[in-house]
Amino acid sequence: MSLVSGPGRGGSGGSVPDELKLVVDRHVKYIQSLDTRQDELEYWLTEHLRLNGVYWGLTALHLLGHPEALPRDATIDFVLSCQHENGGFGAAPGHDAHMLYTVSAVQILATVDAVEELDRKGKAGGEKVGEYIASLQDPMTGSFAGDEWGEIDTRFLFGAFNALSLLHLLSLVDVPKAVAHVQGCGNFDGGYGVSPGAESHAGQIYTCVGALAIAGRLDLVDRDRLGGWLSERQLPNGGLNGRPEKLEDVCYSWWVLTSLAMIDRIHWIDGEKLTQFILQCQDLDKGGIADRPGDMVDVFHTVFGIAGLSLLGFPGLQAVDPIYCMPKAITSRIFGR
Amino acid sequence: MSHGIPRGSGVQPATAEDRQKELQKIKDYKGLVESVHLRIQERQYTIDTLDLTTKLLRWNPEFYTIWNHRRLIMRHILSAGSGEDGQGFKTSHDASVNIISDELSFLLPLMRKYPKCYWIWNYRLWLLEQSTHYLPAVAGRQLWQQELALASKMLSLDSRNFHGWGYRRTVVNALESPELQSDGSASTLTEQEFDYTTKMINTNLSNFSAWHTRSKLIPKVLTKKQADKVARRKFLDEELELIQRALWAGSEDQSLWFYHQNLMSTFDPKYAADSMAPDLSGEERLEYVTQEIGRIQEMLDGAEDCKWIYQSLISLSILYKCLSGKWPVGQSVIGHWVDELAKLDPLRANRWADLRRDLGAP
Repeated sequence: MSLVSGPGRGGSGGSVPDELKLVVDRHVKYIQSLDTRQDELEYWLTEHLRLNGVYWGLTALHLLGHPEALPRDATIDFVLSCQHENGGFGAAPGHDAHMLYTVSAVQILATVDAVEELDRKGKAGGEKVGEYIASLQDPMTGSFAGDEWGEIDTRFLFGAFNALSLLHLLSLVDVPKAVAHVQGCGNFDGGYGVSPGAESHAGQIYTCVGALAIAGRLDLVDRDRLGGWLSERQLPNGGLNGRPEKLEDVCYSWWVLTSLAMIDRIHWIDGEKLTQFILQCQDLDKGGIADRPGDMVDVFHTVFGIAGLSLLGFPGLQAVDPIYCMPKAITSRIFGR
Repeated sequence: MSHGIPRGSGVQPATAEDRQKELQKIKDYKGLVESVHLRIQERQYTIDTLDLTTKLLRWNPEFYTIWNHRRLIMRHILSAGSGEDGQGFKTSHDASVNIISDELSFLLPLMRKYPKCYWIWNYRLWLLEQSTHYLPAVAGRQLWQQELALASKMLSLDSRNFHGWGYRRTVVNALESPELQSDGSASTLTEQEFDYTTKMINTNLSNFSAWHTRSKLIPKVLTKKQADKVARRKFLDEELELIQRALWAGSEDQSLWFYHQNLMSTFDPKYAADSMAPDLSGEERLEYVTQEIGRIQEMLDGAEDCKWIYQSLISLSILYKCLSGKWPVGQSVIGHWVDELAKLDPLRANRWADLRRDLGAP
C-alpha cells in the first residue's frame, strides 16, 4: 500500500454537480492502485507508514462495502513479513518494531479474520505480540512507550488497549494505572493531551476517550465540557479543526466526531455541513480524499473522511466502530456483542 | 501524512527523461538505505556509518528506523568516550560534549525544515538524556539550558507548535530535576515559565497554547509561594482583570472564552477544589459571579452579534442559580439569550436545543 499523495486533488474532477455524492468506485480503484506506484520516489520515502497504510486502505474498502478489493492472502503475508521475533511489528520489512505498526498489524489481521495466522505462520504468536505491547507499559506511571527508546504518548496507550483488547489480552497490562495516567493528561477544557501538562488536541482526545471506553471508564469524562470544546471545532465551512484557531482538516472528521460519538454528543455539530465538506474534498475523477479542497489526496485522509461519513450515517456505507475505527460488523464478531 | 500539500505540487514526471531521473533517484535512495541497514547489521558503529545516516536522514527524516540506528552508533561512541582507557575524565568529557554538541547542531536545520516531525524532536530529547547520563551535572545543565532558548526560538516561528510547547515542558522538567543540580538542591523555573506565557499572550492574545500552559502553571506558582487565602484571591483578581482586558480586545476569540470558562470554575462547587482559590465561601463565590455577569453584560453593548457573550451569560446564570437557588435575571431574559445564541450559532443548534431542554427554558 503506497502512502504517496495524489495523483488526484480534493475538489477536482469534472464540473461540480449541485449535489455531491460519494464516488465509491473511484475510491476503491484509487486504493487498489496505490501499490502499483513503485516507480515514484515518494512510494519509497513513505515506506515508514506502509503497514499503517494497509490498515487505512483496507478499512476504507470495508466501509465502502468492498472488503474483497485487496487480496486477503497477500495482505496477511505482507503483515507477517513486518513482524520481529519479539512479537512487535515494523512499518515494513527491515523497519524496527514499534507500537504504531503493531497495532495496525493486529487491526488488519482482525479485520480479515486471520489473527490465528500469528500462531500458525508468524515469527511470534499472538501471546507474544501481547507481551511485546505489555512490555512497553511503565509500571510506575501506567503510561506506554512507542518502542524501546522510550517516547511516551497517549497514542501508544490507546494503541495498546486497542490491540490487546482485539487479542483478548488486556489482562496483560495494568488497566487502572493506565486509566489514572489518562486522567493525569486531562485539562480544564475537558480535553486531553499527549502527556500530563500538554494542551488538549482532538487527536489525543480520541485516543484518551477511546482508551477510557475500552476500559469501561467513560464515567470519568466531563461530557458537557468536553462536548462543548469539541463542538467548537466546527468551522463555518462545515469542516472540523483539531485545536482552537487552527485550519479545518478532513482527518478531524474522525478524531473529533468519534470522540463526540463516544460521549453521546455527535448531534452537537452540524452533520449535514460536515458531510458536504468531506464530499468536497474528494477527487471525483481519480478517487481519494484530501485534507481540504484543493490539496492532494492520500489514503490517510481517504479513510478518515469515509469513516466520518459512516459515523454520520451516510447512505450505502458500512457502520464503523467509533472506538476502533474498524467495521462494526467485525468488532461485533470479535467481542460477541 | 501529507497535510496541506497544495495544488500544483507532486506533479507526475512527464517526459521519458524525467521518468529516468526519478528511477535513478529511487535507485540511489534504495542503495543508501541498503548500505545503512547492512552496516548496522554488522555492528559497524563507525563515523562512516554515522555519515551515511546523516545523508539518509537529511533526505528522509521520517525514517524512524534510521534514527534508531543513529542512537546505536551514538551510544557506542559515547560509551567508548567515557570508557576506562586511563585518560583523564576531563578529556573524555570534553570529547563527549563535542560529540553531543555536533549532533545537536546537525539536528537544528532539520527541525527548522520539518518542525512537526515527531522523530526529530524525540531523537533530540534522547540525546540530551544521554548527556545527563554521560556528563557531569554542570556540563549537562549547560546543554539543557540552551534548549530552553531553542524552544523559545521554535515557538517564535510558530507559537502554536505543540511539539515546541511539549519540548519546552520537558526541558524545564529536566532543568528542575535533581540530576542536573550541581549542588544536589532543587531549583524551579515555574515563575519564569509563567512570565513566558504572559509574554506570549501579550504578543498574541489568540494563543490557546499559552493560555493552556498558564492554567497548568498557576497552581504550581501558588504552591511555591505557599500562598494563603488572601494571596490566592489577589492572584485570582489579577487573572480576572487580565482576561477582562483580553475579552474587550477580542470578544470573538474562543481561546479567551475557554480561559474565562476555566477561571469561572473557581466559583463552581463542582470544580473549585482544583482551582486557584479552592476555599472561597459560598457568599464570596456568589459575589464574584454577580460581578462577572455585570461585566459580561456590559460587553454586550455594541457586540450583540457575539455568540460567546450569550453563552457565557447563560452558564454564569446557571452557576448563580446553583449557588443561590434563584436566577440572577428574569427567566425571560435567559430565554432571550438562548434564542440569540441559537440564532447566531446554527452549526451547534442541537447543543443549544439540549441547553434549552436542560434549563426548562420558556
